[in-house]
Amino acid sequence: MLRDVAFAVTLVVFIVLLAVATGLGGLGPLPPPRLRPLAVNVLNTTYNPYYAARNFTADAPEAVTAVVWDYRGLDTVFETAVFYGAIIGALALYREVSKRVEESRPRGLSTIVKVSTAVMVVAIAAVGVSTAMHGQLTPGGGFQAGSIIAVAPVVLLVVFSKSFLEKAGVRYAKMVALRSAALVGIGLAALAVAIAAGAMGCWGYVLQNQPKPDAPLGYPPRALDVPSGGSLMVFNVLEMLAVAAGFTVVFLVLSTSEKLAKEEVVGEEHGY
Amino acid sequence: MRSGRRWLRCVAPAIMAFVVYIVYTGAARLYDITTGAIAAVAVGALMGTLVVADWRKSLSIRRLGWLALYTLKYFFVHEVRAHAEMIRKCLGPKMDISPSIVRVPIRSRTGFGVTMVSIAITNTPGTVVVDLDEEKGVLYVHWLFTKTLVDSEAYREVAEDFDRYAQRVFE
Repeated sequence: MLRDVAFAVTLVVFIVLLAVATGLGGLGPLPPPRLRPLAVNVLNTTYNPYYAARNFTADAPEAVTAVVWDYRGLDTVFETAVFYGAIIGALALYREVSKRVEESRPRGLSTIVKVSTAVMVVAIAAVGVSTAMHGQLTPGGGFQAGSIIAVAPVVLLVVFSKSFLEKAGVRYAKMVALRSAALVGIGLAALAVAIAAGAMGCWGYVLQNQPKPDAPLGYPPRALDVPSGGSLMVFNVLEMLAVAAGFTVVFLVLSTSEKLAKEEVVGEEHGY
Repeated sequence: MRSGRRWLRCVAPAIMAFVVYIVYTGAARLYDITTGAIAAVAVGALMGTLVVADWRKSLSIRRLGWLALYTLKYFFVHEVRAHAEMIRKCLGPKMDISPSIVRVPIRSRTGFGVTMVSIAITNTPGTVVVDLDEEKGVLYVHWLFTKTLVDSEAYREVAEDFDRYAQRVFE
């Protein structure tokens, strides 16, 4: 009882002290209550069909995705490439064993877990695709969607087995091909408007989304009855594929059994 | 199963994926329905064989009806009854428990049937499935308020109703 009271008092004192210190500027200057010019600019342009004769807009109600793939699109393309390269690093470490098929046939977990997982995996995939397809409308996007979808192979890997996944067609070579194709797709989508403009003899930019005053071409601003965010939708879908396949292939090689991994390095303990 | 009808196994998972897609999205505009349908076809095609063993069962309206009936009964009768008993015991002055692990032989044999019964038992307060002997069709259930140690009586108390529905839906 006394301990509980002491704990509560300590907590209250701590919170009050922290609040006083923060109020007195102990954590440095606090952000001003009004929006900063950069935020005002983003909010005015991210989705505003009426603003400045549509000269600068991403046509996406979701400002974060618009910033990620349009305002600073080049940054994100490079981030995607870095992620791609990081996975190449992981795969290079496992290069000797990654293509070998495991001979053992583990049984996996119980029927109850397997059946529940099989049903959940369907839901996980649906949620992942929705997250990518609505990246320009609601929070989420390609990376988040790919991460969600990658959960499916991970749980299948644990609950069933690696050989089960490989038998079902989730294989090393396929995943590497898929993520490479997705990265190439991102590159092409980034260049698409510039290439089309070149072919038509007008001005165009790399990573251009909507038409600009001096560059009349752009991605379609609407998909059926919602704003498409132009290129954002394309980027989100391709990023989803790249990330999902990238994570999956890493999980596949990481789940290589120790036995197999040791077989490959046998005799190498004596030097370099 | 004839291999020519293989794609029919993908239909039920595709419908499920579509429903999840729309519910998760929280909107049903033309865009959501179109992209949802495309996603559902892709998910169904990729995962149909993982989820469905017999497409006739997966597309049976009668079985779906039993599943809906079971869901209603489970949440509004079994769950309420089990929670009420648990609340009564928790609030009572006595520590009125008699925990033990009982053997519960069930009649469902399919993966989905066994899963449905096990999840139903575990999800109701007071009983937890701790192990499963698939060959004998026996669940080992930790029962907080043990009323009997006889297999058949434990079955009647803990699993019979779930098992009956599971057989109608999945066997």
